[in-house]
Amino acid sequence: MIAVVRSEWLKLRTTLVPWVLGGIAILVTGLRILTIFLQQPDFAGPSAGYIVPHTTVQLRNLVGAGLSGYLFALLLGVLCITTEYRHKTVTTAFLVTPRRWVFVGGKLILAALAGIGLCLVVVATTLIGGGITLVARGGSFSALLGQVPAVLPGMLLAFALFGILGVGIGSVLTNQIAAIAVSLGWFIIGETILVGLVHSAYKWVPSGAATAVANVTASGAGGGRGADSITLAIFNWWQGGLLLLAYGLIFAGIGSYIITRRDVT
Amino acid sequence: MPSAIEVHGLTKRFGEVVAVDNLSFEVAAGRVTGFLGPNGSGKTTTLRMLLGLVNITGGTATFGGRPYRSIEKPVHHVGAVLEATSFHPGRRAEDHLKMVALAAGIPFTRVDETLELVGLADVGRRRVGKFSLGMRQRLELATALLGDPEILILDEPANGLDPQGIQWLRLFIRHQASTGRAVLVSSHLLSEMEETVDDVVIISQGKLVLQTTLADLATQAGAAGMRVRTPEAQRLMQVLQYLQVYGRQTGPDTVVIDRATPEWLGPVLAQYQIVTYELVPEGAGLEQVFLSLTTGFDAAVPGGPAPTGFPAPTVAGGLPPLPPDGSGPFTGGPS
Repeated sequence: MIAVVRSEWLKLRTTLVPWVLGGIAILVTGLRILTIFLQQPDFAGPSAGYIVPHTTVQLRNLVGAGLSGYLFALLLGVLCITTEYRHKTVTTAFLVTPRRWVFVGGKLILAALAGIGLCLVVVATTLIGGGITLVARGGSFSALLGQVPAVLPGMLLAFALFGILGVGIGSVLTNQIAAIAVSLGWFIIGETILVGLVHSAYKWVPSGAATAVANVTASGAGGGRGADSITLAIFNWWQGGLLLLAYGLIFAGIGSYIITRRDVT
Repeated sequence: MPSAIEVHGLTKRFGEVVAVDNLSFEVAAGRVTGFLGPNGSGKTTTLRMLLGLVNITGGTATFGGRPYRSIEKPVHHVGAVLEATSFHPGRRAEDHLKMVALAAGIPFTRVDETLELVGLADVGRRRVGKFSLGMRQRLELATALLGDPEILILDEPANGLDPQGIQWLRLFIRHQASTGRAVLVSSHLLSEMEETVDDVVIISQGKLVLQTTLADLATQAGAAGMRVRTPEAQRLMQVLQYLQVYGRQTGPDTVVIDRATPEWLGPVLAQYQIVTYELVPEGAGLEQVFLSLTTGFDAAVPGGPAPTGFPAPTVAGGLPPLPPDGSGPFTGGPS
């Protein structure tokens, strides 16, 4: 299995798209940092104008600014399996690894690791970009660093789990366009509509679970969309983690079953 | 010594369509076996079942007694070239080989060796998207050879190759067999393969037509066949079509019937009252034998209505029955 994962890593890094996705994730994180600093303070403080994060909650939210980057971890997961089908390299893959659940298993592990790598890049971006801005506004960089241990583990877990979920979705929908359209459609539109209609559904949907895992406390922290006006209930971190893992493994299980039975022609 | 590849009663159904029908054949080590049949006859499906890519409906397909999926690290035993499109265009050629090498536990030095072997050493750093069809075929070959397998399976490897490429491939395949490997190579053209193969497995519509040696096939080609000179060439062709026998009109008044005997043809001409000026034995070319073997089965439905424009038989007793086994034109193989 280690050999298969190493091969998967080589596959991932020798094509352009993952690097482009990583670049976009960095850009999105930068924008997210900007919006945090451009937020009006929610109370009339002594110095009206732009916020300078200084409370624990504000600092944690700044460290976790890149949380929504888990969508890119998801896309990496979707791509690493659907690209094989799109370019028919799946034929070569199955010749080398005829047991197809091993193939899917290698992808799951790789996508989790890629998610962790992407998370580290995103958090580094946040610390550099957010840190510079913070210091320039007279904030404390060491206070920001002090909140990293509280936020990073949960974020790493969320990114890894979304990578796994991506492979799960890609293994069920091996058509690349369909898989990307369905996953983005769900996370950008579907979930928002569902949660808007049924607030209690939020803790059950993947992004609600991700917010729980990352534990970026209050509303508006990264992924908590729609949470500004309504307080949406979420699970605690390990419940959210198990829920996300369950989603990923259920999809991957169904996908492995379909992939194993399907002829490669 | 057991056969390198054994296919026994292999069957594949896609819904209602039977793509491969109770197919059995063997491939020996140290020999090149041509797997021949027209396009759509089930060659690729058979090879993909052998390699565990397509699920088997019935029968077995094994390498040294084991199905592909149960072989530990199969690329060390079986190398396959399936089609020249299964590359990521943005990936460098050597990275494609490295990704296979990593998964199969093959050292990267072997990557350079195989690139050298197929003549791609200079372009290993180029992206596959920039490769010509011939270069892709060579890269497929390199991929198949990575694990130094004792069995090679090549699906239409000559497709898209220029004459020099085909010549190179021919020498390459002969060399592989001379080092003791078993090579199974498919093609829809016997002429492409007749200088390369030792044995032939001929299939048509998913069924085995004939497994024999090329030498035997050549003997049959040289021996049997009748040339008929007649003013009623058109009508004779219609009769042959009705009888499901492969004939070809080689001139305005000449028809050649491959692998037919005078004992079979004479009564047919008499029964249908076809005026005959000349009846001469003639040897057919290999390609003609191949055509007659594979397309003869495509003719009219047995017992069905006569083809349009076919004159009603003028002899009492109706149409003659098909010749019994052993006396028909297909003496060489099961039908």
